[in-house]
Amino acid sequence: MNHRDEHDARRRVFLQRAGLGAAAMGTFPLQAFAAGHETLPFGNGERELVTYPGKRPLLRVTTRPPHLETPFSAFGEGAITPNNAFFVRYHLANIPKRIDAAAYRLRVGGHVKQSLSLSLAELKALAAPVEVVAVNQCSGNSRGFFEPRVFGAQLGNGSMGNARWVGVPLRAVLEKAGVLPGAKQVAFNGLDTPVLPKTPDFIKALNIDLALSAEPIVAWSMNGADIPFLNGYPIKLIVPGYFGTYWVKHLSEIVVMDHGFDGFFMSTAYRVPDNACQCVPAGTAPTATRPITTLPVRSFITSVAGGARVPAGKPLQLKGIAFDGGSGIRKVEVSEDGQQWREAALGKDLGRFSFREWSFGMAAPRKGELKLMVRATNMQGDVQPATASWNPGGYARNVVETTRLLAV
Amino acid sequence: MNILNLIAVRVLSAAALALGCGAALAQAVQSVTLPLETARLKPSKLAGYQLALQKCGICHSADYISQQPPAMTAAQWTAEVRKMEHAYAAPLSDGDVAQIGEYLAVTYGGAKPTLGPVAAATPVPAAAPGTPAAAVDVQAVLKANACLGCHAVAQKIVGPAYHEVAARYKSDPQAQARLEASIRAGGSGKWGAVVMPPFANLSPQELKALAAFVLKQ
Repeated sequence: MNHRDEHDARRRVFLQRAGLGAAAMGTFPLQAFAAGHETLPFGNGERELVTYPGKRPLLRVTTRPPHLETPFSAFGEGAITPNNAFFVRYHLANIPKRIDAAAYRLRVGGHVKQSLSLSLAELKALAAPVEVVAVNQCSGNSRGFFEPRVFGAQLGNGSMGNARWVGVPLRAVLEKAGVLPGAKQVAFNGLDTPVLPKTPDFIKALNIDLALSAEPIVAWSMNGADIPFLNGYPIKLIVPGYFGTYWVKHLSEIVVMDHGFDGFFMSTAYRVPDNACQCVPAGTAPTATRPITTLPVRSFITSVAGGARVPAGKPLQLKGIAFDGGSGIRKVEVSEDGQQWREAALGKDLGRFSFREWSFGMAAPRKGELKLMVRATNMQGDVQPATASWNPGGYARNVVETTRLLAV
Repeated sequence: MNILNLIAVRVLSAAALALGCGAALAQAVQSVTLPLETARLKPSKLAGYQLALQKCGICHSADYISQQPPAMTAAQWTAEVRKMEHAYAAPLSDGDVAQIGEYLAVTYGGAKPTLGPVAAATPVPAAAPGTPAAAVDVQAVLKANACLGCHAVAQKIVGPAYHEVAARYKSDPQAQARLEASIRAGGSGKWGAVVMPPFANLSPQELKALAAFVLKQ
């Protein structure tokens, strides 16, 4: 057995356990894999399952800075991703390890009438709390599936999650400080810092119109509990519909600017080709780029994992999730051949920024390989493409996903 | 969370209740302890291996490297290392970039070595017995091995400050020997989860001089 065969065999073993076991038991047997391994279906895809503070065993991408992916089986548990299953992604290794909420301050300054230094109690008193269910997805979620492959964190499909966030609108904070005329962008910094003084700090910026819109919130609650430490305790910027890169953790500083922010993580990193498809021919460099923004429409089957065996001759109940950048999901369709598509039933609507569950009762499959495709269309009419596009950063993948099963 | 913090939390929760504040203040202090690093760079006789151990580990663990796609070319790996220098201010010379790029491409990408003889793996000539440690230029050794990327005399960077090390070993009669062994073998757990790479390339004289230097801080 050569290395590759062995690799595939191990993967099959895992997938069978994850898929068939789950189908038989009705839930995913996550505990069985605690402190084990999972193999993502691309080269060098072996991942350790490691338990971090406040987390169940997650797939370790890097130890320092902490970077953990959610095992995909967790998305089969429901539309809300549990706090202890939510992925973790830091960019810089000097992360806070101890935070005293009583002494915590959020500073607001720059192009404003008055600078602020808000305690958490003062922040919470600024406005009536608002709530949003929203998907936080890494820009590089699914990067490992890019072909040709690209450098970067080699992520499967588990760098996303959906949670109920509670906080105050960002604009209430900005209005308290008083944004001066001529403001163009608002920059956000958190407590994590670089190891070396010359490494750029992780600072993100939003255009002033978005920052003053109703949607972004400064949140302190996630699914009814404190935000987990590794997800940004005690406060995190929530930008519904936008990729996770803007959702600054341990939010500590907000600066209003009368010019565009030009830090590394806006001007060089997290940029996509500046065209409609945000793509270029594979292996080429874009002539112009722009900062990545909103989530393109995506959908997944979550009730059964690729490679699983399902019983032939019995109807197959499929379940899954779909989401987009905030227009909402219009329809989800399932196909066995990529030609004929049948509409799935949409589940409960938790809001236009949330995962939308769907279900589909499939006719009994005959023995043999099944290739199940799922495709979502959002309220704007955007539909997932049949073939994957490519960009050098490995960002914003949203091709129609195919799940291969074996009916036996 | 230590005992003092627990007491503080109790006091604060009482205060929070008295003031009618929410539960969020009840757990005022939160802390995390991260698991130990386990990933190691694949050993190699190429010069870039020692450089990678010493420089890449300043900012990130080795797992980032082993997970990259298997078929990246030498040009791609070298460009990635150059990005670390230019975008992230990694303390690398152009020579370091080329050496580390080659090590990564050969070890993780299947490229063939092109840079010729292996520089850093060249054994340091053994000094004559009895050579005094003073003959070693400690500052030059610190610089050549990028020690100061992770350690400063008075403050913690990635690893402990030399002051802290000296203080911990102050009353240990075995301090000199223990420290020499630690520098030579590297390790983790004594000061936190971050791994210190081994510096097996150092001569006994250099190890002796470095350990003595640290203990004097």
